[in-house]
Amino acid sequence: MESTLESPSESEAPETSIVKASGVERIYGEGQAEVRALDGVDVTFEKGRYTSIMGPSGSGKSTLMHILAGLDKPTAGTIEVDGTDITRLDDGELTQLRRDKLGFVFQFFNLLPVLTAEENILLPLSIARRKPDQAWVDEVIERVGLTDRRSHRPSELSGGQQQRVAVARALVTKPAVLFADEPTGNLDSKSSEDVLQLLRGSVDEYGQTVIMVTHEPDAAAHGDRLIALRDGKLVHDAPPVSADAVIELLKTLA
Amino acid sequence: MLSLTFKNLWARKWRSLMTALAVVFGIALVAGTYMLTDTTNGAFDDIFTKSNEGVDVTITSKVKVEQQDGATPAFSNRYLQTVKGVDGVKIAAGSIFSQGAILDSEGDSTGGGFAPQFIASKLPEELESLDLVGGAEPETAKEVSLDEAAAERADLKIGDRLQLVGTGRATPFRVVGLTQLGGASFGGTSIAQVLLPVAQELTGKQDEFDQISVQAESGVSPEELKTKVIEALASAARGDLRVETGAENAQRNSDDIRDSLSFLNIALLAFAGISLFVGSFVIFNVFSITVAQRTREFGMLRTLGANRRQILATVLIEGFLIGLFASIIGILVGLGLAKGLSAILSAVGADLPSKALVIAPRTIVVSLVIGIGVTLVSSLIPALRSTRVPPIAALSENVVIGGKNRIWLRSVIAAVLTVAGLGLIASVLISGTEGGDAALQMGGGAIAVVVAISIFSPQLVRPMASAIGAPLQKIGGLTGRLARENSQRNPSRTAVTAAALMIGLALISFVTIFASGINSSVTKVIDQDLKGELTLQGPGGFTPIPIKAVTEAGKIEGVQDASGISFSQVKVDGGGSKSMSSVQPDTISQVLNLEFEQGSTDDLSGLEDGQVIISEGLASQAGVGVGDNLGVLGQTGRKPELTVTAIMASGNLDLLGDLVITQNEMIRSFGVDTAFFALLKTESGEDVDTVQKRVEDDLDKSFPTVDVLNQDELKQSQQEQINGLLALIYVLLALAIVVSLVGIVVTLILSIYERTRELGMLRAVGMSRRQVKRMVRYEAVITAVLGAIAGLILGIIFAFLLGIPLESEGFVLSYPIPTLILILVLTAVAGVLAAIYPARKAAKLDVLEAVSYE
Repeated sequence: MESTLESPSESEAPETSIVKASGVERIYGEGQAEVRALDGVDVTFEKGRYTSIMGPSGSGKSTLMHILAGLDKPTAGTIEVDGTDITRLDDGELTQLRRDKLGFVFQFFNLLPVLTAEENILLPLSIARRKPDQAWVDEVIERVGLTDRRSHRPSELSGGQQQRVAVARALVTKPAVLFADEPTGNLDSKSSEDVLQLLRGSVDEYGQTVIMVTHEPDAAAHGDRLIALRDGKLVHDAPPVSADAVIELLKTLA
Repeated sequence: MLSLTFKNLWARKWRSLMTALAVVFGIALVAGTYMLTDTTNGAFDDIFTKSNEGVDVTITSKVKVEQQDGATPAFSNRYLQTVKGVDGVKIAAGSIFSQGAILDSEGDSTGGGFAPQFIASKLPEELESLDLVGGAEPETAKEVSLDEAAAERADLKIGDRLQLVGTGRATPFRVVGLTQLGGASFGGTSIAQVLLPVAQELTGKQDEFDQISVQAESGVSPEELKTKVIEALASAARGDLRVETGAENAQRNSDDIRDSLSFLNIALLAFAGISLFVGSFVIFNVFSITVAQRTREFGMLRTLGANRRQILATVLIEGFLIGLFASIIGILVGLGLAKGLSAILSAVGADLPSKALVIAPRTIVVSLVIGIGVTLVSSLIPALRSTRVPPIAALSENVVIGGKNRIWLRSVIAAVLTVAGLGLIASVLISGTEGGDAALQMGGGAIAVVVAISIFSPQLVRPMASAIGAPLQKIGGLTGRLARENSQRNPSRTAVTAAALMIGLALISFVTIFASGINSSVTKVIDQDLKGELTLQGPGGFTPIPIKAVTEAGKIEGVQDASGISFSQVKVDGGGSKSMSSVQPDTISQVLNLEFEQGSTDDLSGLEDGQVIISEGLASQAGVGVGDNLGVLGQTGRKPELTVTAIMASGNLDLLGDLVITQNEMIRSFGVDTAFFALLKTESGEDVDTVQKRVEDDLDKSFPTVDVLNQDELKQSQQEQINGLLALIYVLLALAIVVSLVGIVVTLILSIYERTRELGMLRAVGMSRRQVKRMVRYEAVITAVLGAIAGLILGIIFAFLLGIPLESEGFVLSYPIPTLILILVLTAVAGVLAAIYPARKAAKLDVLEAVSYE
């Protein structure tokens, strides 16, 4: 399994790309009811960078992330993740890809209520039957500030704490890419800031690659790069300046 | 609102279908049973009516004491002259219709199992009930006609040879004709017809008849003739005879059959009841889960202005429609089942006459009422719960309805029910009530205990599921761990699912333990009390053997003693209907070991005509002791006073019944001239196998129906009978098990639907489809094993309780541990099978849909 995912792609891009979407189209429905959620998107994401994806409702930002993460298949175009065209993978290979290369943080935390915080964090490793690197686990838990909450169940944690567990769960496998889908959508501003700092920190300290979909300008401002979509097309791609500038940008898009 | 209910049902059609399935099986059994018995009864009515065509008056002997094989005693042929002299009689004739054996020319039995074989005599054409359908009627003493169905079963044709056995030696005959009774196939019964003197000779009824049939002269009505015949016989017959019109006789015969079949009817309906009871658990669970999952929907309806009654109605109407649908399907399945049941019965040799299925309006009405009733009652509590959903539930994520602090209430209700249930069972055991009332009380007690357990079981689920899941966690790691946790997540859901399975398994383990107890008790008696190494018995142990065969066996070289034992049902003064045996006093002590409460073996070997040995139970019931006289009424109508000489101790499984008399007394006063079985003692120094072979060879020619069994074979033949019955019970209980497995399937599907987002997350973080499937499978196994363990424990407790009062009769309870373990393993496997579809469904969940699912 490992070998099929590792192909010599380093030489292609000078600044190592980790995710590459080429000519991606996603069409829902047929005939009159046809909706072009993505209409020819080409975008490359480099290793160790923090990219925010924005856009108004229906712009295709969530669809793009789903397709990049292999959760949905494009109607046309290819997606390379770490050199592998994931649009050609079957379910077993995709499962393996998720285990080896991808991490997820969802809007609704999605923790298992029957497991403790630590068990939730270790979940991806347990599923893959891998031995956790205890030093790394401790470090991640320390980093997300839950050392004294390890044995608590999700119902005993606040929303912010739950989302930090989710971030730790995504980081624990050292994924090639961490996808975050509106990670602050369900949090108050203080907790949001904590989570965003964590993601930022993972990029700066561990060289983690993060791709985040958000509709909050504050959140987007934490990234290294901001891309925006409208009507399924890429309309903006630049480093973010400030939250206010982002708001201005969104106004022009709407 | 009504259209909303329909849309809901339609949107969840698969779930609704599965829910309906919980009732379908029970209703199918109810409908099938009614169809089967209606059809059978109708067929017997037909047969008896047609066979009495041309017969205006019948004369039979009055039954003084009901015999176990239903046989009526013969009466003297001298009454025929009296009847013939009655004014208005055109023709009158006596006939024989007695149980016997029909063998092929090799001496092998034809037909089989429980189905009886009859020897009948030929009547004058006007009165004959058998219609000739091929060949000729028997004209000589060596000719026989056989009923068509029996001939077909035995592969006998006109011209072939066969042997008939009554109370004496086997006699060879040639088949000359084929007959039919009442124009229908008479089930598995076989009838061989010979000339009257031949039939009398074969059945040991020289100068006797089983029946006199009379035809009236034209212009004389059957009733008139009946009155005249009664007048004429009044002085002569001392009230021993029963005079009926042909129609009355037909009616009584079919009523008798109806009565004996009503046992079957009740037994099948009881199994239907069990299956419906289990089904009600499944329905309760499905509705509870559905109501919980629709909390938001109900809240939304309330915000839109729906009142509580409307919410209640939507749920109950859903229940009504599912019940209606299930009943209709059940009736249709019942059609097939009726045919299947009669196939099962004929496989064990109890053929019923076959005709087109009768579907009475009563069958339809009863099925609909029960099906809808069970569904509505089971959905009532969940429906009431749905009315407690507040409108705010529409807006918030997690509104949990239903109280948490009701544990004490549950515990109290469970405790009260348990005490009441056990009390009911205990009262039956202590008071020694018997028959239908006892069964009803015991059943009621058992139901109360089962309901109590399922009310309390949510408290037991956590520790038990945790223990059962522990090994799975060892094997399966994370998937095992999650399955273990998931099964404890909703304790009452798991509890009800497991309780449904528990009921079926409690019954299975109960009958398994009980049957094994009977087997080991029989084995114990054979080992300890049978001193005779060999046993003579009729085919299958059901039919008697000629006393001549016993006498002859006693003369064979190597046989020291041969002692025959006969039975008859008698009415004892102050004791009611009892089973009485007769022994040959000079030899009985050599072959049988008997314990005495008062008296000794000498009283047994010294037993004389006119004396009786009685059981401890009868002695205390009738209040008689040694030296007292006891009036005993037999089937012949004679009622000798017998002197009690000894009292037997209980503990031999009542091998000899409640009374023991001499063989002479039995023949003289009670008219039984066959032995039920005989015990042989071999001479010391003789090899038992050699003697057995010799006895078999010597008896084979004259008495081909007699089987010679050594002790191992005897044990085996006893066990085969018990195991045959056990197999039938297993098949019927399997229905209840299948229903509870359907419960596991539906509950899992509903739980998976509930955990869609969770499953999506697991898949997103790398869980493979295989792992998802395994997790679901493990959860099913935990639930199944939970039900199995609870069922086994309950079954063991019931068997233990019921075994206590039987202990004094020599019943030893034994626990077939390997079988019980096998049951446990099979249940776990059944759990895996039940999980196939839900697991596939869980694994198929689209990750994206699961994650974005709200």
